[in-house]
Amino acid sequence: MSTDFHLDSVVQDDCLVIRTFGYVNNMGGKEIVKCFNEGFDHGLTKIVINLAESKVVNSIGISYLLEIIEKLMDKKGKLVFTNLEPAIEKTFSIMGLFHFAEHAATEETAIAKMGE
Amino acid sequence: MSESVELKISLPKIPDIELVALEGLQRLASHLGISDDKIGEAKILATEAIINALEHAGVDELPVDIVFTMTKKRLIIFVQDYGKGFQPDSVEEPIIEKKLGTNKKRGWGLKLMRTMSDDITIESDEHGTKITLIKNLA
Repeated sequence: MSTDFHLDSVVQDDCLVIRTFGYVNNMGGKEIVKCFNEGFDHGLTKIVINLAESKVVNSIGISYLLEIIEKLMDKKGKLVFTNLEPAIEKTFSIMGLFHFAEHAATEETAIAKMGE
Repeated sequence: MSESVELKISLPKIPDIELVALEGLQRLASHLGISDDKIGEAKILATEAIINALEHAGVDELPVDIVFTMTKKRLIIFVQDYGKGFQPDSVEEPIIEKKLGTNKKRGWGLKLMRTMSDDITIESDEHGTKITLIKNLA
């Protein structure tokens, strides 16, 4: 079980795609927000977060993602999560994240959703 | 009779120590032939119960004790801390719409535990807190 969190990111079709690796705890959550802010400050408001390589999360880490939702709401942006483990998807659902964000099976389908 | 396996762990308050418990949980499941998809929610429950105990107990020097009791059909997660305790009924139900725009975005652990478990018991007083979670695996 990977404990060391890291991420990478790429801009594709005007979307910022953030791919996470490892445990999304408070530090992981902060790292995701930091990466988002760097893109957001350059005008990117279509965000994809791919959690394929994050098999463990906690609610403290996920609560940081609410900062992303806040900023995107102000700019009418869009956030799509992809590759969610079923238990993580249920966690997001219980927390209400899907009231303000969407989810997709893959990055490709997430990017396609951005145009809808 | 279904085989029952038990794991007891005492966790010190150090960063990400909950992952040690999750490794143990995974090992118990593997031993019983329980697939990963069936214990995914159990891992979330264990994580939330442990970080809740580590964060809110209010004492750094005392450990958090964990007992996992697992059969093929059911998992019991017992988490005990020796902190100052809390009143579960006084914990406000988190609602995302109320969290947005505030500095208080945390506080989801109890809601996750209550929603995702099949049963939850909380005993808390000034000597500490015991949380027992039941998750059906069958």
